[in-house]
Amino acid sequence: MSTILTHIAIADGKIKRSSLEVLSHCKQLAEQGGHSVEAVVIDANASSFVEGIQKYGASKVYVVEDPIFKNHMNTPLLKALSNVMETANPSVFAFASTEGTKDILGALAANQDAAVLPDVSSFELTEGGVKAKRPVMAAKIISNTEAKGDKVIVSVRSGSYDLVENETSAEVVKVDFSMDEGELKATLKEIISASGDTIDLNEAEAIVAAGRGVKDEEGQKLISELAEVLNAGIGASRALTEAGVYDPSLQIGQTGKVVSPQLYIAVGISGAIQHVAGMANSKVIVAINKDADAPIFEIADYGLVGDLYKVLPPFIEELKKIKS
Amino acid sequence: MKFYVCIKMVPDVNAPLQIKDGQLIQDSDRQILNAYDASAVEEALVLKEAHGGEVEVVCIGSSKASETIRKALAMGADKATHILTSGDEEYDSGSYAKILAKFFEDKSYDVLSLGKQSQDTDAGLTGSMVAELLDLPYATNAVGLEAEKDKLIVRRQGDTGQEMLELPTPCAVTCSNDMNEPRIPNLKGIMASKRKPMEQVELSALGLNEDELTAKTTVLRYEEKPEREAGKKFEGEPDEIAKEVAQLLDTEANVI
Repeated sequence: MSTILTHIAIADGKIKRSSLEVLSHCKQLAEQGGHSVEAVVIDANASSFVEGIQKYGASKVYVVEDPIFKNHMNTPLLKALSNVMETANPSVFAFASTEGTKDILGALAANQDAAVLPDVSSFELTEGGVKAKRPVMAAKIISNTEAKGDKVIVSVRSGSYDLVENETSAEVVKVDFSMDEGELKATLKEIISASGDTIDLNEAEAIVAAGRGVKDEEGQKLISELAEVLNAGIGASRALTEAGVYDPSLQIGQTGKVVSPQLYIAVGISGAIQHVAGMANSKVIVAINKDADAPIFEIADYGLVGDLYKVLPPFIEELKKIKS
Repeated sequence: MKFYVCIKMVPDVNAPLQIKDGQLIQDSDRQILNAYDASAVEEALVLKEAHGGEVEVVCIGSSKASETIRKALAMGADKATHILTSGDEEYDSGSYAKILAKFFEDKSYDVLSLGKQSQDTDAGLTGSMVAELLDLPYATNAVGLEAEKDKLIVRRQGDTGQEMLELPTPCAVTCSNDMNEPRIPNLKGIMASKRKPMEQVELSALGLNEDELTAKTTVLRYEEKPEREAGKKFEGEPDEIAKEVAQLLDTEANVI
């Protein structure tokens, strides 16, 4: 019997859903193979999340609590993860593939001399390792990749697995942590946050994404209205984040975020492969574009050919009616 | 500041490709400079132009990679080291990180810079691996760099916002392509690149043993992505198609 360890990421005082998706999958793998599934949470208020983690079936929760984890910084995070990895000695250590994860994944693997499979869309255990599917070549094809060894680190794209509740009473293990200023190496000077209450795109059930066709403030207003009706997150193509119209953290695509919401509405987005790489796994895709030949229509479940400035107002009205 | 920029030759992801018996086959063998690495080269050049210093590129690859190196030199890098491999070895990010760490072990520099990921595999591991192996302070996914005395100021894109970090040099940084628009080499740059020093180092001369470099991950086979079928296209009066699709999202797709 071996141990599968899952990292639980915290954002804005909440457990990231994508981490619980990974935990749900690990629990299932553990049950199939007779392994134990454990979790680690690293945060300034880490112990407050134990209850939420137990719901998804971890039999042991490592808690690393220190004020230093209030903001993401790679040096302390790496130290805590290495400590826990050495204590728990997992055969598999699974993460949700967030920016925070991407920042430390390679370093953790190098530190622990572990094999690593980043940004996978699924994974399973094999005799002596892990087998995973990874989208490559701008997510145009899938690479079946195998990692061999007694220590394998995996990060999983959000939306790859469903949440499955599985209430367990977990043993809580507090892990001591301390770090001197001198060990920190880098200094975090400032955090420039995206506008206050935006919805985290990796967690959003619905996303309205704006592209080059959204030309002015009137267009942006329509995007905001549509997002509001659907309680959706707002995303953007690279053209609009580069032009400074939307915050860079909202960029969806190969370079930005990879998302897979239940509903993705692409407004004025032509569908370049780099953008599609970031959203093609959405459950239902709606595209609104006046160019009937735009490549986005090749992957859209519902394609509206028309001027977004004329289509969106009645679309929003009708959705309001349905919602009320 | 002395910059080392690690660059990689990658297949063009925009070129047509096929899968045959689990193998990836590209119609053209066109190889290009990884776009993220091009941004890393550009940013190093901008900082050199502002504060002085030197930009050296390092590339691991077969003899074919010399074209990619020339491109970086034509952009304006001062010199290059080509760590020469046979081209048919099966290395993963971990192997490449070990090669780079070994190469940099006895070098002196202020900033070691890399693209944040490679366009073909999108793994994004090598940068932080090299930093860890060399015990350097590092930042990934940088969208802006500023040089100060003995310090590199990095603006990086995090999960919800941007983080401003101050790294003491020597340090490592991985660059996003949102950082800049890499310059297209002009004729003068291309001519000059031919006279710039390019040192070739055989991989075997670095003194690593083959066991250390054995990849921990292997690609078993490639497969087509399950095709997403195009759904229904609605054309006509904006009012009508908008209403129709809104209702279908509710009654048919069940996502409202």
